[in-house]
Amino acid sequence: MASNEQPFGHEQPLPARFDLWIAAVFFVIGATAALLAYRMPTFVDQKGEIYTAPGLVPGFYGVVIVLLSIWLAVRAMRQGALRAGAEPGQAQTIANPVSHRLALAVALALLFVVFLLGHMPFWLSAAIFVAAFTGIFEWQAGEPWPTRARRLGEAIVLGLVTGVLVSLVFERFFYVRLP
Amino acid sequence: MFDSLGQLGSAFVGFMNPHSLFNVLWATFLGIVIGALPGLTATMGVALLTTLTFSMPHNEAIMVLICIYVGAIYGGSRSAILLNIPGTPASAASTLDGYPLARKGMAGRAMGISTSGSWLGTLFGILCLALFTPVLSEWALSFQSFEFFWIAVFGVVVAGTLAGGDPLKGYLAGFLGLFIATIGQEPYYNYQRYAFGFTDLAGGIGLLPALVGAYGVAEVMSAMRGPAAKAVSSTIDSVVPRIADVLKYWKTIFRSGAIGVWIGILPGLGEDAAAWSSYAAARRASKEKEEFGKGSIEGLMAAETGEASSVPGAIIPVLTLALPGSAPSAVLMAAMMIHGLNPGPNLALESPQFFYQIIAMLVIADMSKLIFGFVLVRPLIKILLVPRERLMPIVFVLCLVGAYSITSRVFDIYVMLVFGLIGFVMRELKFNMAPLILGLVLGDLLEKNLTRGLVLSGGSLVPFFTRPVCAILAALTVVSIVWSIPGVSDRVKRLFSRAGST
Repeated sequence: MASNEQPFGHEQPLPARFDLWIAAVFFVIGATAALLAYRMPTFVDQKGEIYTAPGLVPGFYGVVIVLLSIWLAVRAMRQGALRAGAEPGQAQTIANPVSHRLALAVALALLFVVFLLGHMPFWLSAAIFVAAFTGIFEWQAGEPWPTRARRLGEAIVLGLVTGVLVSLVFERFFYVRLP
Repeated sequence: MFDSLGQLGSAFVGFMNPHSLFNVLWATFLGIVIGALPGLTATMGVALLTTLTFSMPHNEAIMVLICIYVGAIYGGSRSAILLNIPGTPASAASTLDGYPLARKGMAGRAMGISTSGSWLGTLFGILCLALFTPVLSEWALSFQSFEFFWIAVFGVVVAGTLAGGDPLKGYLAGFLGLFIATIGQEPYYNYQRYAFGFTDLAGGIGLLPALVGAYGVAEVMSAMRGPAAKAVSSTIDSVVPRIADVLKYWKTIFRSGAIGVWIGILPGLGEDAAAWSSYAAARRASKEKEEFGKGSIEGLMAAETGEASSVPGAIIPVLTLALPGSAPSAVLMAAMMIHGLNPGPNLALESPQFFYQIIAMLVIADMSKLIFGFVLVRPLIKILLVPRERLMPIVFVLCLVGAYSITSRVFDIYVMLVFGLIGFVMRELKFNMAPLILGLVLGDLLEKNLTRGLVLSGGSLVPFFTRPVCAILAALTVVSIVWSIPGVSDRVKRLFSRAGST
């Protein structure tokens, strides 16, 4: 089938070994959910009915997740997930999700949430975050200083405009409380 | 008949004031910008604006959200045509012919086709919504908890089967969403489930912070990982749609509109499936098959009409069955619940005027989209060229404000971050997010209806399988799961083709 005939934009499937790991994670989630649900009180001793027990529904979901994860694991194994050196070519086609850019973006976002937010007015923390984010990502090695200074200046202006505008618009127009 | 027209008229009049029209204009504009920017989707836009319009009166807030929804689905075609990158997943089919047209120097004409197709598609969808919603609502009024339980199960399972990608992972995502919805205090005994002594967890996982995280933050992360896109075409010819294009392809428009509405109604499928299906159907029926993929006017018209008509289509089951037809409509349904509305058949009884208001909102949003389609071409090209290094931190700040604004809990910001990470990882592992969203939104309804049904039946499961609608939904759910087992669908097709040949 030609790529432009692919229904709903299906993509290349992941290697079976990935699916085995996914199945393991979901198995742990499902089993933990089911076990904790089983340990929840049923309130039958307080004249409650068993079908209103708090653990019934989440326990059912936990069991279903366990069964689905077993299905996924069996399928992955039938596709050769346990074969040594299986699908070496396919594994290389998976893009590495953890790039330096992504790690930097996540680190900046966490610094903003943990260290800036709540420790100063929101407009200022947002301005610092946006300016730092833009300034760092647009920083280019070997760039002449006048260009670099202009970029940094633009980043600071963008940060200040964002901080002030977001605060004004959401507090005054939408009546939203800011963190 | 005249009573209905009178109510519809008064709904329109209700929005014809400067304040409402101002909201329509900025919301549609923002929706088009969100849709046009690769990495930002209609679901993220609706989720974000749901939190930010929380303090507005419900009809104004829902109107803003519908304008964002309609605008974002349309806006995605701009980057599809100019950048060869769909602004939203719904516009992926538009790249196939929109971009080749732009490369031939007909970017303006392509945008004109996109505007006319999208406008007509939404109008067709609105007509279907106006015709079918009252009938479906009346039919659904006889439903009890047993039926609503199966509707929720059917929604999550069908979304897993059909929403694209691996159905098994779709089911896992759906049941994960349902499980997450059970965290916190349950309604019968106020028992704190999975709270581990944390007061914040006992309050439950906020639906909107989770949605803002799963869509907004995850999209920021994805955008910052990938390389930036560059616009290809900056010379634009006339964007005014040609009447000849519309008249020549009227059959394609009707066919795509009908397909879009039908796929919109099916739970969780969404606008991208509608666009692809309309495109494929147009290609099969076309006399110019060889043009498809090389700059076919008909192909672009079909994709745009299909995706646009699925927007009202996806709202039909929200209003009648409390079952969202797509991820953005799931968020819209959550917004309705937050604003005290009760989506489902009772909506027509509790807020009869709201049905007419929804029609008025969709028509106004569609007209507003048409106007922006003509005047917003060159400013949009400039917006498309804004580097993501400048845009994404602003989006993150907005996500953060959105997550916090509903209950003013810092905990919700952490929920947003965690769901951002979950959403990002799940996308990387080829999970479709629609079943997860449906699970989160329908989790509460499913549990309440299951327990209520069991209380009504004295603990018996028999009515869940013997009532006619329940039996049909249960059978469809099972068929949907069995169909997704590898080899089953092929064997059934082979069996039918063999039977047909003998």
